[in-house]
Amino acid sequence: MRALRNVWFLALATCTEGIRHRALWAIVCLASILTMANLGVTTLYSWDLGKVSVEFGLSSVAFTGLLLVFFLGMKILADDLERSRIFMLLSRPVSIWQYLTGKFLGLSMILFLATIILGLSAALSMRYVLLQYAAFVPPNFSWLTCIMALACQWLSLVVVLAMSVLCFSFAKQPFVALLLAVSSYLVGQNMELLRRVVVENPQAGVLVGQERLVIALSWIFPNLSLFDKKYAAAYGMAFSGQEFLLLCLYSISYSALLLYFSTLLFKRKELA
Amino acid sequence: MTPATPAIEISNLSKGFGPRRQRNQALTDLSLVIQPGEIFGFLGPNGAGKSTTIKLLLHFLKPDSGNLRILGRTVGQEEYRHQIGYLSEFPVFYDHLTARETLLLSGRLSDMPRQEIALRIAMLLERMHLSDAANRRVGGFSKGMKQRLGMANALVHDPEVLIFDEPMSGLDPVGRHQIKGLISELKQQGKTIFFSTHILSDIETLCDRIGVIHKGVLLYSGGLGNFLAAGETLEDRFIRIIEEANHASVA
Repeated sequence: MRALRNVWFLALATCTEGIRHRALWAIVCLASILTMANLGVTTLYSWDLGKVSVEFGLSSVAFTGLLLVFFLGMKILADDLERSRIFMLLSRPVSIWQYLTGKFLGLSMILFLATIILGLSAALSMRYVLLQYAAFVPPNFSWLTCIMALACQWLSLVVVLAMSVLCFSFAKQPFVALLLAVSSYLVGQNMELLRRVVVENPQAGVLVGQERLVIALSWIFPNLSLFDKKYAAAYGMAFSGQEFLLLCLYSISYSALLLYFSTLLFKRKELA
Repeated sequence: MTPATPAIEISNLSKGFGPRRQRNQALTDLSLVIQPGEIFGFLGPNGAGKSTTIKLLLHFLKPDSGNLRILGRTVGQEEYRHQIGYLSEFPVFYDHLTARETLLLSGRLSDMPRQEIALRIAMLLERMHLSDAANRRVGGFSKGMKQRLGMANALVHDPEVLIFDEPMSGLDPVGRHQIKGLISELKQQGKTIFFSTHILSDIETLCDRIGVIHKGVLLYSGGLGNFLAAGETLEDRFIRIIEEANHASVA
């Protein structure tokens, strides 16, 4: 019970620190401008304006979420080590897993808040476009699907955040951690495509015969493409509650596993 | 803890950094015992191994060999941190939390009841002359204010053992006077204080016993009176012992 309280206090402090950070609001402002740009970008198309609007809106949220993870999130984590702030926390009865989980939860809360703000901003611009160009509203378009797609994006950001925490726990330099996290994100985003190409295509070039390796890698790296529901939202293709629930479970269990490995690696680190 | 249990016990502690071939030995076979209620000054030039010893005591670093015990609990194996207060040489806090929020976080992490924390925070902010800045974000604090907040942070949970790494660093004469007064007060309350410094006047004013360390080797541990020869100042004696150690290592 006390362990969970410590995690909560650390999460709360991290969230407060992040929310009051100027970088968060700079990124959120940028994103709001981006989503508003939706109005201009959409009119450049002469067909499928509704679909473009929804995809553009959700893409801006996803892009901004990544900026938040890689710049604000990793900065807060790196500052703890580089500026020796971690000493203030670990000189208390706080274990490494409580520290990492608290940080992770706090940053997830910031991402959640940012996703809500950006989602609302994107929704406003989408709503405007859909009202203006009613003829191009996708058949079966549903706001519920949009909200679920937005939630999936947050879940995907949570996984990327957990990967960043893992990289941070063993990399000696914050910049290296950032590079590793970005690379893992790119691999995670394309892993499913690569797996399908290799497994389903007998003429997959140099990767022919490497099916087992690719399958093994696809089990190690997160399958981030699963969380990408922008297409479904834009085309009014509903996805089931069961699928959504499975994605939630996947995100939570994968993140928990990464946090467990992060703790093991961080324990080996010397805080000189 | 029985009355005979030392507050801090360091036995045959060694620590090096870097790869095996180019190992930089920071501490060699260090042994120290500090009794409850003592003020122990850990003295040494820059790079002597003072901060490394403190980081080992707090388990931020892991020893290559040797043993550390605080109030009878083995560092790295048993939980002891609710009984220690730590002030680092350059205290760093969350820039966007206020002084009050910073102390609240520390109190909560030390498992203090909420009401008690509020009382302690008010008392400590007053004692450290930070009451006016209680609701200001720490990022805007001066170096001296951060040092005083660090001291309040170390004391918020009323620990038995206090470990200070250069507590007077960056303070103006008024700030140093306040901290010295506070350390004397803490001694009267029966707290054990282990602090590192290279400011010799602080050692003379405050300490019951001292340890002198140079290049990771403990050169002296004991009372201040026994350390000084008749008519010799602490500064002269300190420089002499360091020079003797340098000559011995060259020879």
